[in-house]
Amino acid sequence: MASTKQPPPVGGVPSGAVLVLGGGVAGVQSSLDLTELGFKVYLVEKSGAIGGVMARLDKTFPTNDCSLCILAPKLVEAGRDPNIHILTKSELVSLTGEPGNFTAVVRKEPRFIDEEACTGCGQCTLYCLKQIGDDYNEHLATSKAAHIDYSQAVPTSYYIDAKACLRLNYETCGLCAVACQAGAIRFDQKEEEVELRVGAVVLAPGFGRVGEEVLRHYGWGKYEDVLTAFEHERLMCASGPTGGEIVRPSDEKHPKKIAFLQCIGSRDETCGNNYCSSVCCMYAIKQASLAREHDAQAEITLFYMDVRTHGKGFDAARERAIAEGNFRVVYGRPAKVEDVFDGRLLLTWADDAGRHNYEKFDLVVLSQGLESPPDAEQLSRACRIDLNPYQFAATDTYTPLATSRPGVFVIGAFQGPKDIPDSVTQAGGVAGLCSGLLARGRASETVRAEFPAERDIAGEEPRVGVFVCHCGINIGGVVDVRAVRDYAKTLPNVVYATDNLYSCSQDTQQHLVEIIDKHRLNRVVVAACTPRTHEPLFQATLRDAGLNRSLFEMANIRDQCSWVHMHEPAAATDKAKDAVRMAVAKARHLTALAEQQLPVTPSALVVGGGLAGLTAALSIAEQGYETTLVERERSLGGRVQLLTADRHGHDPREELKELVTRVEKHPRITVCAESKVAGVSGYVGNFTTTIDRAGQESLVVNHGVTVLATGGNAYVPGQYLYGTSPRVMTQLELEHRLGAPRPLAKGIRQVVMIQCVGSRGEDLAYCSRVCCGQALKNALRLKRMDPELAITVLYRDMRAYGFLEDDYRAARELGVIFSRYRPGEPPQVTQGRGKSSPVTVTYFDPLLDESVAVAADLLVLSVGIVPEDPKELARMLKVPVTADNFFLEAHVKLRPVDLPVDGVYVCGLAHAPKGMDETIAQAQAAAGRACQPLARGSITPEPIVSHVDPEKCIGCGACETFCPYKAIAIYKENKGRKAKTISASCKGCGVCAARCPTMAIDMGRFTLEGIRAQIYAFGEG
Amino acid sequence: MTEPYNPKILGFLCNWCCYTAADSAGVGRYQYPPNLRVIRIMCTGRLDPSFPLEGLAGGADAIFVGGCHPGECHYQDGNYHALVSAALVHETLARLGVNRERFLIDWASAAEGPNFVKIITRFTKRAAELGPLGENEGLDPAALRQRLAEAAEFARGRKIRTGLLNAAKEMMKGGDFKRDTIASLVHAKCDKTLAELVGGGAGRGEG
Repeated sequence: MASTKQPPPVGGVPSGAVLVLGGGVAGVQSSLDLTELGFKVYLVEKSGAIGGVMARLDKTFPTNDCSLCILAPKLVEAGRDPNIHILTKSELVSLTGEPGNFTAVVRKEPRFIDEEACTGCGQCTLYCLKQIGDDYNEHLATSKAAHIDYSQAVPTSYYIDAKACLRLNYETCGLCAVACQAGAIRFDQKEEEVELRVGAVVLAPGFGRVGEEVLRHYGWGKYEDVLTAFEHERLMCASGPTGGEIVRPSDEKHPKKIAFLQCIGSRDETCGNNYCSSVCCMYAIKQASLAREHDAQAEITLFYMDVRTHGKGFDAARERAIAEGNFRVVYGRPAKVEDVFDGRLLLTWADDAGRHNYEKFDLVVLSQGLESPPDAEQLSRACRIDLNPYQFAATDTYTPLATSRPGVFVIGAFQGPKDIPDSVTQAGGVAGLCSGLLARGRASETVRAEFPAERDIAGEEPRVGVFVCHCGINIGGVVDVRAVRDYAKTLPNVVYATDNLYSCSQDTQQHLVEIIDKHRLNRVVVAACTPRTHEPLFQATLRDAGLNRSLFEMANIRDQCSWVHMHEPAAATDKAKDAVRMAVAKARHLTALAEQQLPVTPSALVVGGGLAGLTAALSIAEQGYETTLVERERSLGGRVQLLTADRHGHDPREELKELVTRVEKHPRITVCAESKVAGVSGYVGNFTTTIDRAGQESLVVNHGVTVLATGGNAYVPGQYLYGTSPRVMTQLELEHRLGAPRPLAKGIRQVVMIQCVGSRGEDLAYCSRVCCGQALKNALRLKRMDPELAITVLYRDMRAYGFLEDDYRAARELGVIFSRYRPGEPPQVTQGRGKSSPVTVTYFDPLLDESVAVAADLLVLSVGIVPEDPKELARMLKVPVTADNFFLEAHVKLRPVDLPVDGVYVCGLAHAPKGMDETIAQAQAAAGRACQPLARGSITPEPIVSHVDPEKCIGCGACETFCPYKAIAIYKENKGRKAKTISASCKGCGVCAARCPTMAIDMGRFTLEGIRAQIYAFGEG
Repeated sequence: MTEPYNPKILGFLCNWCCYTAADSAGVGRYQYPPNLRVIRIMCTGRLDPSFPLEGLAGGADAIFVGGCHPGECHYQDGNYHALVSAALVHETLARLGVNRERFLIDWASAAEGPNFVKIITRFTKRAAELGPLGENEGLDPAALRQRLAEAAEFARGRKIRTGLLNAAKEMMKGGDFKRDTIASLVHAKCDKTLAELVGGGAGRGEG
């Protein structure tokens, strides 16, 4: 699909480089994914640092994870990657050429400070005389003309604001040049134009903000205590202008009554933005939760038009936040904000029944929507791509990441308003697409990362360095970090201990390398978040410092301490000290371990032959790898075969047919229809899967990676007379009829649709995401067929997110009636006189404030999506599933298609309900991610393998019996039998060590002595 | 009113399920009592039978081992091996007269942060009720810890471990991974040695 419509590069080998425009999370992620796939990246960023909006966020919904903490490792990685060339203060001027061979002209503005020479000491800022508004802090604080955007910024180099600098504008001052010890100030730097040869272009410029005139309408700029959500976000943040205190700008007091106003500049024709910004409902809940954390007493009210929390796990997170935070949710849209005499802000709104309400608040937060980026038109001209009517990049349902110009792709908010996980997904997808387009150029322009030689520490006394992280206020707000640091200094063999605001930032990594060198550390302990997410980052830093990565240990004082003991600071501090003491005790026993490289079988297995599986298989094959596609049914295609039109009126089955043909004809794809995965063994790089095939012998396939695209089914309702009355059908059944030559029987005048049948309730706890869009689509199809047809849609929240809002508006304009029902008061459906008579639908109409009964000639149920039972595959692959039976991804924000087991990926309905365009993008992402180990060609597993002491081994063979991986074997020696580890197969579980009768076996990093040291250290507390 | 006892609890959590569950409890800001200290191991199969005994000897009032649900072990059957080690710990505690509830092995999958919180909250409450190690048992704490340390040493000895590996072999052969089945196997293979080394009343660990 997307990939199919991109013509292959003409003539010759394509370039192995890609230009990524925009250094937000989407751009950074796609850059990292691209280099992993073997491509060089020019990352072009308009501002002085990468990180984008995510770097300005305090927390992220729904986990309230610290935004910078999860982003910073990626920024650091991008900054360190020798194959990513970051060009800051730069923009794309023109793009000529063809896919595979573009020439991009990039204009680079001077920073006036030499990036290479700058040490990031900050003296220039200190001496700079010219104050400017601090853009990073939404102008709620001031900065200087010579500055860095934020302390963890990448590159970690300062720069000078040319518009403000006294020297550049008035030839005075120049103090920074005197203050700079590194001599990095370059007033003579000139703007330059760089010509880059690239094979593909990825546009990730992010979003623009809703204009100030819209905000002013709600009193922003006029009343001090009306804040945008972006401003409020900075107030919440520990590194923000108030150090994380939420105070009213007018009197610096804590607001006691806070209102969040949704849809500011979204779903609003008057400002030209009819679309829904898709993220504000979530971030408002997040901000409300954090406001609650800041003040347990504040009254917090959220004003919604519809609550659109349709993402995976979002509804559950929202419900929990509202219950725990004791928020008031009001369905209403205050038209304006007024100032009243006592310095408070008056809101007026009409409720569902049309009654007017008035109330005063201390602080009003405007949930500001997203717009297309301010330079959208310039970009469109430079790249010669089409924009949609809202100035976002124009894309197609079936090629969601392709712009109108072949070889130019779009991801993130410029593709349409979206959240972080969807942006990251698209980033992975576009990397896969580029990798397919430029497959022959792979590895032609990349270099291998070089690390300094490892220092031999074998004979040295342990010299432990301890780094305790504040994690903004995530740890520091609960745990007394400095006390923990001081305590660490008293522990045996600790020669250095310090605390950092964010241990994972790039400047801290550089600092760590310096400290390791200066204090000749040979063991490093970081007390911060969890090793599950952050260990690789710090281990890379150890390698940069010439230390073996196994000489590292983490103490989890956030996820398992400050976050779970938020109201017990003293106890949490004690626990953190204990954790550090135990980590140091273990660290003293760590030894350098030899690395091993294991080969990767360069092929993939895709399970499921629906839209997701087909797209993934095709993308992997186009990237150059053999793919086996397993489908249970006789024919490929999955549930898309049940759809008869997309929202633009095209028949998706046509597109599907083309896709199936391409898959079936592809020389690198083997299709196993009527087949089922019977067993899986192995691990990333080396899976072996047995496939049971109907009427044939089973097939055994060796493959390096696995993509799960097992899909889902429509929920089968047992309510609303479904199956009893012929008048009642599901939306899919209506779709089927609408695709037939004579869709509607005569005499059908009234259609009623009921939303959330099965979803958001007892049967399926989650929102099925697509049903609102499908109801709108079918309502419009009906209306266009017969404008006289009366249609009533009974809904809880119309979740017409993104550009679907256009359909919502169109439906209302065509006379479709929408009526909200409350979860506790669902519509009642009763049988008519005869078995096939119209059914009576009774519902409470809030506007009339009474019950209404309608005779429905046709009752259409918008049923939810039920995932295919994942348990068997989950057990075979050892991957977790959620309570709702969807596969659980490794990280909901930043690893949305990776499963926690390396080498296994998920896409489509098996991950969560989603529409076709989203499925395609996610499948492309899974394919892009899956090809990373394949492109690398080898894996370097953590050296935590077992080893046998031949002196102690008695050759009993227990280890060989119990090892689940055949990774330990008995061999004959002259005197007898001995066991030996086969390192390449060992996964480090340690069963052999626990079962060895003579304790002859020990594990790398998880040694007997190390664990005993932890146990003793525990006892010393 | 007296303050409830603040027990010291040491936990061994497997990387793939329980440790992840504990992290996700944090991400979800689920609150639980701050008594648990955690040692991360890749798999509960790594749990040496001596570790819990050593933990109690070293100052813990209670020990928790957390792994993946039966049948869901990331390494196939490590948690069954953990049940073998656990059975020995319970046998030993019974012989030493220590309340078996001071040692708990339980499961929480990576997706079950709230379940982990429930388990730990309940276990902490129970450990608080039991009070300092030895008190509830009417034993001299110092002497008890000394005996536990010796028991840990025995658990590292060849005799007991041979019994355990034979029990584990039978477990794998029988394919019955129920707790009491495993406990019976361990009892059958280790009871004599335990009686010899640890002494005390012949107590069946399970039940």
